[in-house]
Amino acid sequence: MAQFRLQGSKVLAVDLAGDTVKARNGSMVAYTGQMGFKKLSGGGDGLRGMVTRRLTGERMEVMEVKGQGTCFFADQATEINLVRLNGETLFVESDNLLCTEATLRTGTSFTGLNGMASGNGLFTTKVEGQGWAAVTSRGPAVILRVAQGLPLRVDPGAYVAHTGNLNRALKSGAGWTTLIGEGGGEAMQVEFTGEGLVYVQPSERLTFGGDA
Amino acid sequence: MAFTRINNKMVSAQIVPGQRVLSQRGSMLGYTGEVTFQPNLMGGQGGVMSMIGRRVANEDTPLMTVEGHGTVMFGHGGHHVHVIDLVGDTLYVEADRLLAFEGSLQQSTMFMGQQGGLMGVVRGQVTGQGLFTTQLSGKGAVAVMAHGGVVELPISPGLPVHVDPQAYVAHRGQVTNKLSSALGWRDMIGRGSGEAFQLELSGQGMVYVQASEVKL
Repeated sequence: MAQFRLQGSKVLAVDLAGDTVKARNGSMVAYTGQMGFKKLSGGGDGLRGMVTRRLTGERMEVMEVKGQGTCFFADQATEINLVRLNGETLFVESDNLLCTEATLRTGTSFTGLNGMASGNGLFTTKVEGQGWAAVTSRGPAVILRVAQGLPLRVDPGAYVAHTGNLNRALKSGAGWTTLIGEGGGEAMQVEFTGEGLVYVQPSERLTFGGDA
Repeated sequence: MAFTRINNKMVSAQIVPGQRVLSQRGSMLGYTGEVTFQPNLMGGQGGVMSMIGRRVANEDTPLMTVEGHGTVMFGHGGHHVHVIDLVGDTLYVEADRLLAFEGSLQQSTMFMGQQGGLMGVVRGQVTGQGLFTTQLSGKGAVAVMAHGGVVELPISPGLPVHVDPQAYVAHRGQVTNKLSSALGWRDMIGRGSGEAFQLELSGQGMVYVQASEVKL
């Protein structure tokens, strides 16, 4: 059973006892003990997953780490959030997924047109099963709860991940001012409704909506 | 203890007459009191031969000598600063990661080939760290820079630590380091896991690892 723990807020330490984790290619910074690294072609979802990932652009370079000891992972000094999954599904941008336990299944899911307009792409990565996943964010992420009757709107560039039973829809805040170039820089938002948690980072990726 | 942490990206140093602090040129952020900053043409200590040594070795980060009476703040490039106290042992660090150190420390340049022979030379080339590294020994404090903070990992006999060369910051103690490669046929056909080369540190001591794979 792989043990995930944080060493500071930016380094993930995983204790392995002969078992396996999947991690972003090249994200190991140090290890003790014996470790083997093997690249998994096409995100490690098998042949079908590989084709899907190629087609959808949710490409992920993933390696399989197997061994005895402690392995340390970090990615460009981003903050790391540990997410424990007990059968639920985590939706996360593939850029933000650092490491998952081997017991978790990964795949791609279609987010529809709203993903495209927000610059996050049409597809997102889906992680499901039982185990730990490590999600990166630029700056410490805040976890916002969405409940019935309490929808949440998020800047697409600040969205990192979500869990639970959520529907996402793209909302446009663009009015006539946006068209004449006087927009507030918040022309697009993603609205989440339902029940669940949304991870938001204190930093914004470049998105189409942010430019407008 | 010459350095006091202000936050994780800035340190301040108490300068008293007769005690110098050497720092990377241009890394002063502010000071109080009567303090002078002298560019150090030698790039460090140890006379002209050392200077030539450093020039040849390309470990000649421009340094300045800070003297006088007062408090000086140091920081550079928004990088995290980590203060390491040396108590008679030796710290090995890349010259461009050195932010400041006390004048009581002996600075010298070490040829990587001394450790591991030919493999040491290959190591420096492959990892982009060069053939030489800076060595600080004695009693005093050193402030080193790292991207994204530092994790200290102890090294003990029989328990070597493997580090990604890009995430390696510094090490201290009786440690031998060698390049271990996990090159396989997968790397040859471009399907590598991105972890083809690792530094293997064994012996007794401590290694400092940063939370990022960005070299300074």
